[in-house]
Amino acid sequence: MFEPRIKVGKELYATLKTAATVAGYSSVDEFILHILEKAAAEISQAQSEEEVRRRLQGLGYIE
Amino acid sequence: MITVVSGLPRSGTSLMMQMLQAGGMSILADAGRPADEHNPKGYLEYQKVRSLKSDNSWIADAEGRVVKVVSQLLYHLPPAHEYRIIFMQRDLDEVLRSQEKMLAGLQQPSGPERDMMRQHFTRHLAALDEWLGTQAHFSRFECNFSDLITKPAAAVQEIVRFLGIPLNVQSMAEAVDPILYRQRNN
Repeated sequence: MFEPRIKVGKELYATLKTAATVAGYSSVDEFILHILEKAAAEISQAQSEEEVRRRLQGLGYIE
Repeated sequence: MITVVSGLPRSGTSLMMQMLQAGGMSILADAGRPADEHNPKGYLEYQKVRSLKSDNSWIADAEGRVVKVVSQLLYHLPPAHEYRIIFMQRDLDEVLRSQEKMLAGLQQPSGPERDMMRQHFTRHLAALDEWLGTQAHFSRFECNFSDLITKPAAAVQEIVRFLGIPLNVQSMAEAVDPILYRQRNN
């Protein structure tokens, strides 16, 4: 099955490897997946809160 | 102690306000939003709540009373006070249908498709639920709107137990009008 891959420059990879070790991750892959999931979730949450805000504003519940 | 009725718009918050008023509680509300076809018995809202994010100077006026605060604004209630929150839970599809009808009546844009809006509200409620659980100045009672309509006497007993104050339970139960339960799923 096809799995998407992301290219990372050598310099960034080295930085990520160090950070993963310091943070106690078992691998660089695990570390990168975790921070990507976290970042995506934060963006989705922010988008949802903004859409909720617009809906509440439209209904006259907030300014 | 401040009693707060909260939830999503169209989840039964106005009904809960009407019930608490009928039971004898002092309501913090004004005539800013009069009754209309969507809410024939009135919204019982306090217009200053709408700007709670930027101005909470009025909050002391709510001490010993009940005020309606829509879900997203709960984050902005100052922690210097203690709050009992009655949080209304209603089927999200019923809430969305009712909101869409109200938005059309207000000539406001409907926004994202219903499925997308359901996802946004689901994320919003999950995050709020998690946050409320970490806030020592809140105690919370989840009130199911459908149960409230179909079994008001039982629901009223639970509400009064949560609030811990003597209220007229008969008047509270009588404030429930099943005819106004529109947009129901079945």
